[in-house]
Amino acid sequence: MSADTPCAKPLPQILPETAGFWEAARRHRFVVQRCTGCGRRQYFPRAVCHHCLSEALAWEEVSGRGVIHSFTIIRQVQHAGFSSDVPYVYAVIDLDEGFRMIANIIRTPPECVRVGLAVKVAFADVTPELTLLQFESA
Amino acid sequence: MSLKGRSAIIGFGETTFAKGRQSGGRSHLKEQCTAARLAIQDAGIAKDEIDGLVAIGPLDHGSSWSMDLAEYLQLRPTFLDTPYFGGAAGNAGILHAAAAIQAGLCRTVLLVGGSVSQPGPPAPYGVEDSVSFERDFDTPFGPMGDNSAYALIKRRYQHEFGAGEEGFAQVVVNARRHAGRFDNALLRAPVTVDDVLHSRLICDPLRMFEIVMPCTGAVALVLTSAERARDARQKPVYLLGGGQAIDRGMWTPAYGRDPSLTTSPIRRSASAAFAMAGVTIADIDCLQLYDCYTITVIIALEDVGCCAKGEGAALVAGTDLTVGGDLPVNTDGGQLGRGQPYGACHFMPVIETARQLMGRAGPLQVAGARFGLAHGNGGAMANQCTLILGNEIP
Ligand SMILES: [Zn+2]
Repeated sequence: MSADTPCAKPLPQILPETAGFWEAARRHRFVVQRCTGCGRRQYFPRAVCHHCLSEALAWEEVSGRGVIHSFTIIRQVQHAGFSSDVPYVYAVIDLDEGFRMIANIIRTPPECVRVGLAVKVAFADVTPELTLLQFESA
Repeated sequence: MSLKGRSAIIGFGETTFAKGRQSGGRSHLKEQCTAARLAIQDAGIAKDEIDGLVAIGPLDHGSSWSMDLAEYLQLRPTFLDTPYFGGAAGNAGILHAAAAIQAGLCRTVLLVGGSVSQPGPPAPYGVEDSVSFERDFDTPFGPMGDNSAYALIKRRYQHEFGAGEEGFAQVVVNARRHAGRFDNALLRAPVTVDDVLHSRLICDPLRMFEIVMPCTGAVALVLTSAERARDARQKPVYLLGGGQAIDRGMWTPAYGRDPSLTTSPIRRSASAAFAMAGVTIADIDCLQLYDCYTITVIIALEDVGCCAKGEGAALVAGTDLTVGGDLPVNTDGGQLGRGQPYGACHFMPVIETARQLMGRAGPLQVAGARFGLAHGNGGAMANQCTLILGNEIP
């Protein structure tokens, strides 16, 4: 995925409850929410803690390391914004901290990607405000 | 007070399915009205007897579809519902209707769904109106809609259980075998395991023949109280049990899924349905399993209890799951054999179950069928609704 092409791709919108996540990503830090009520963590960022429904949430940095739970190689374009990327890897990643998330596996040939592959976060700057959390072979 | 035996299907109807490019002159409303007329005629009731309406509109129409269809048909129902959560919505609509009948909100419910398929590629995934967490934490990575979501599940399944491709391909072979003997099916030509394995790789590891083909069509059925059903023209097919279970949002491929993509909430929806019905999987004479993809059938077979977790692909490869075999599955050809008319596909499993249990399946009749299981699956195996039906009340 090249990060410097003019971006016709669908982009995240920054919401009050996710602003802290995107602000950290812009500084190449990966943060999740920890609830100051019950002490548990969650990904993706939400307006409330999904464990106890508290709104008292603080940001906490995580390792950005994990393994690929599953993936597919997308060979056919459905959204024009991705036409120069095919084939690309769309993957589910299990983070060491116990979260599961979606990202592309970049800077890694698709034929080398497999279930269980160790990966680490790779920050992809898309616009001055937005940095996506991608992953690459660790 | 359970829903067991308190309501029954007394009629159904289907329009003639058509491929998108052969759908000229059809409209969403026309399709649904035709299916409704056929179902009402099949039930042998007057239109004015309908006092409940469950209607599933085309994908791009909103939640007022049942009101709009009621206006178009000049129905005045006292119970309306537009269930809107993918392929589980049809069976969920049956449960809602059965509960409404039992509660006395209405007596005879028309359930209808279907749409016209536009030729050409589907709209880009990731439209602006998707839910914010999908838009912000999934869509930016270029998913391919349902295809990529199900590809992730198939890949993980093959990884965990060492399953090869044969069982997956055999799901398609069986579907086409049934479809070739079912009048209202679009994919009637037989295929071999080899044909499936040589079809184009769309979204690794999903091949073209493993993915449903969208098409045009509508279906409808009539559900009424068990008392009213006793005087009906058709042999009543009673709702004996039902259950619904979810484990995450519609298309979010992962966040709430623990521990694995291969574990589905079908276990819970099927257990609830069996418990209510008071029967077990051993009593079931035919299964109609929502089959948007081959992997959906394999996981459903496991989670409704036909075999242990991880043995579904081997079960399909090693067992005759066609009519005349040990365990007839998707006896009308399913969506992989018939095509997928959005809105209609939600009701296809329950209608085929009724067809079998009324003894009206012609060359595909399962001899002596008494009990059937109809399963609906919505999102990326996120939302599951299982029904048990019978032509007697055990
Ligand atoms: Zn909390």
